[in-house]
Amino acid sequence: MLEDIGFTDVIIGEPADTFGGATGETNARAFDVYGYGFLAYRP
Amino acid sequence: MTMAALPVDPEALREQVREKYRDVAVDPHRTFHFHTGRRLAARLGYDEAVVDALPERAVESFAGVGNPFALRALAPGERAVDVGSGGGFDSFIAASQVGGGGRVVGVDMTPEMLKKSRQTAEALELRQVEFREGLAEALPVEDGWADVVISNGVINLCADKRTVFQEIRRVLRPGGRLQFADIANGRPVPPDAMRDIDLWTG
Repeated sequence: MLEDIGFTDVIIGEPADTFGGATGETNARAFDVYGYGFLAYRP
Repeated sequence: MTMAALPVDPEALREQVREKYRDVAVDPHRTFHFHTGRRLAARLGYDEAVVDALPERAVESFAGVGNPFALRALAPGERAVDVGSGGGFDSFIAASQVGGGGRVVGVDMTPEMLKKSRQTAEALELRQVEFREGLAEALPVEDGWADVVISNGVINLCADKRTVFQEIRRVLRPGGRLQFADIANGRPVPPDAMRDIDLWTG
């Protein structure tokens, strides 16, 4: 979607176990949910 | 994208998000389905010394999902927009990076978060930070103003992500950048679950 909208040079960082140990962990594990950093540029 | 094509009603989702994050603003130490505060910041790899230097009220309502500064730091003098600034934690980190010669505009739609972030900025005497009421889909920022847009755990809570990204592109100057953190799922979410508004915030 980022590139569709006109962003370029998209970089995705390493996953973070955002919900590990929280009460939302079960749902997060069910859908393999992690937090990521994204970097993209407007040409 | 028309509203009919969206998985949930945007305004109904916004109201649910406001309700959830109102609690995070006024009662940040209760149990949520996500981590909050200093424990979360440490988990996500924020610079410990920078976080330690902030007062508790600047950190306690932090509820991000990643570290938008991990891939690139902001530079002194830059103009930044923080989409969904919440209690202001990432805006205050941004302020420390852009310095007194830069500007940070935090945008949030939850009144209790805006009140908290504004009071904290005043207490910290951070003249380069300002918080404005607004939506991610209609940012109260002029075209091409920002060198950088940051956001943390907010875009996943917006029904119309395409409009949000278009709006971010509008406020960025040519050559500007978007650096944000958000969640992504490695397994597909069933259509019924996509339409369940409770699952978006819980």
